[in-house]
Amino acid sequence: MGLRKFSLRAFLKKNFDFIAGVLSEVGLAASIIAVGMLICLLLIAIKSLL
Amino acid sequence: MIPSLTREDLKIIGYNLGRVGNLFSVLMLVPTIVAAAYKEFDIIPHFIAASAVAFILSNLAIYFFHTKNGMELKHAVCVAALVWIFGMLLTAVPLWSTRSTGSYLDANFDTMSGFTTTGLTLIPDIDHLPHSINFFRHYLQFIGGIGIIVVTITVLAKSEMGSVLAFKAEAREEGIRPSVVRTSRMILGIAITFMVLGAVLLAIVGISEGMNVGTSIFDGVAHSMSGFATGGFSTHSQSILFYHSVWYEVVALILIIVGGFNFAFHYTVLSGKRSEVFKNIEIKTFFITLMLSTLIIAAALLFFNVYSSPDTLFRKAFFQAASAHTGTGFATVHPLQMSGVWPNLPQMMIAMIMLLGACANSTCGGIKAIRIGILVKAFFNEIKKTLSPKSAFVREKYHHISDTPLTDTIARGAALIAIGYIFLFFIGTAVTMLYGYGATDSMYDTSSALGNVGLSSGVTSPAMPPGLKVTYIFLMWAGRLEIMAVLALIGFVILALRRGIKR
Amino acid sequence: MKKLAFLIAVVLLLLVPAHAGAESGKALIENSKGFDGKTVTFQGEIIGVMMRGANAWVNVSDNGYAIGIWCSAENAKNISFTGDYTHVGDTVAVSGIFHMACQEHGGDLDIHADNLIVVTRGREVERTPSLPLVGLSAVLMVVAIFTILWLRYRHKEMEKIVPWPVT
Repeated sequence: MGLRKFSLRAFLKKNFDFIAGVLSEVGLAASIIAVGMLICLLLIAIKSLL
Repeated sequence: MIPSLTREDLKIIGYNLGRVGNLFSVLMLVPTIVAAAYKEFDIIPHFIAASAVAFILSNLAIYFFHTKNGMELKHAVCVAALVWIFGMLLTAVPLWSTRSTGSYLDANFDTMSGFTTTGLTLIPDIDHLPHSINFFRHYLQFIGGIGIIVVTITVLAKSEMGSVLAFKAEAREEGIRPSVVRTSRMILGIAITFMVLGAVLLAIVGISEGMNVGTSIFDGVAHSMSGFATGGFSTHSQSILFYHSVWYEVVALILIIVGGFNFAFHYTVLSGKRSEVFKNIEIKTFFITLMLSTLIIAAALLFFNVYSSPDTLFRKAFFQAASAHTGTGFATVHPLQMSGVWPNLPQMMIAMIMLLGACANSTCGGIKAIRIGILVKAFFNEIKKTLSPKSAFVREKYHHISDTPLTDTIARGAALIAIGYIFLFFIGTAVTMLYGYGATDSMYDTSSALGNVGLSSGVTSPAMPPGLKVTYIFLMWAGRLEIMAVLALIGFVILALRRGIKR
Repeated sequence: MKKLAFLIAVVLLLLVPAHAGAESGKALIENSKGFDGKTVTFQGEIIGVMMRGANAWVNVSDNGYAIGIWCSAENAKNISFTGDYTHVGDTVAVSGIFHMACQEHGGDLDIHADNLIVVTRGREVERTPSLPLVGLSAVLMVVAIFTILWLRYRHKEMEKIVPWPVT
């Protein structure tokens, strides 16, 4: 009985949906954070104009 | 007509509580590994003794309540409600015996806060806690967070309580047992993935920000457990403020926001349907309410001259808003500073969004985004109906994993839960004020307990009156179970008292 | 000269009851607006050190109220012990400018230290297991294992006498 050779490519292909899903969710969270930051920048800009 | 309680009903409940008790006994042995690793050999006997007591009590319950009858829904709901109380009492023992808390009541407060992923704490000196006890607290939040999702999906959903969960085909068509095994595995797999990812990222940031490697790894694992579980316990009394690091805060934010997502959403996205990210009603509702609250909180802090630069607004206003809205409770502002320096408006906004919560079927508490979204849609639907001719058929739907018609039953269910939360909020606030605390602080801490958040204005402390500690334990418990399960249990007790227990 | 004056202040602090002259952590945090921008003296136990290049963050706790101190790496290198379960951290006296919401550090409440002096060196705390408790936990675990095995045996015996009805 031999050990199956680990192939990163095969692993990524097999778990593509899972990995892409994790990245999508992290990306979604990062986008939410970015919009939050944008709101803060916008408020500073508004205050400087007043 | 509600049938009377029988002895067999009590046996079924007692027997199943005993079986869950064995699980708590095993869980209490895990921190002994951490204690051994950190050479805290004086702590190990506390966990072993507590675990042994739990084993004895649980197995006595299994023996004396033994029954081969399976659980019906009413039993499952009672067990789901009582398991938190049972777990709280058992796991409080090591916290109390190691003198991490002042009293056994305080220890119960902390373990209920742990299991319900609240994050309020009565531990007077977190900075000098043993590593094993600190690990235990964070680990309770992780277990509690996963546990409530399993309970919600497999038990509470079948009861049609909370209505929005009742439409889950999985829960309707299958029995509880196969659902528990399959669903638990799925939830555990997703939770561990994000927990490990979060721990690695936090550890890397910790090391790069000048902390020693051991502390970075320990803190990373602990904060990842309590962050993804939207629990909020921290290894330091200053919470996330301890690190004085924007990158630590950003990673924590990603973790807590992802932790606030619905597990059905996680499953859908991780299975390949990534478009759900843009279509899901909960994600849209959560995004809108978070941004609106950030706008109000940040504007108030800016125009009242508390903070004056974009990065300070982001790290204080947005972080606190996200921490409150996801029901986490990580803090970058000291509670006393918040109540002493922040104006009332941002404090009240934080109190409100603590009650809103993030997504359903997640580790967070509160009314939940899906109910808010449904209620808003139902509200606009009513306006449409009013403006349309009588013969017109006005139909509304919403997208949550699949397109679902918005029926009156669903809207009513969402409204009932929301009313339940608001009712308990007023009761909790009134009780807190009766103990002499100010209105804003009372509302803040009541919201925090009921919404399972963990932020405090200073009301929650070891010096709290015992009556208030018991009140907040009840609020954390009721909030975690979305009120209805607790009311069902109270109904059972009233039924037993009125009609007695039949043979 | 500044350092000498500070040292004299520290000595005087040691000779008078604790916290006289030094602000308490609670007072600083509660009245952060009043202390904002002012020079304060603060004393407490080290609970965390993070080196950041030429500077360092040192978290100092006074009776459970912790404040972050931004000081030079040189000052931080004088610290021997950080408080945790098995250590009492160094007690330090800090003098510097207090910020309610530091613009340099993302709005954090902090003190930019001019001086950080170790007042009392920390120490290791010996935590030995309590022999009676070790004995009790061992006994309880043996009782637990015995209880589980005994109850299972009893249950099996009872099933033989009164088997569960087959439906």
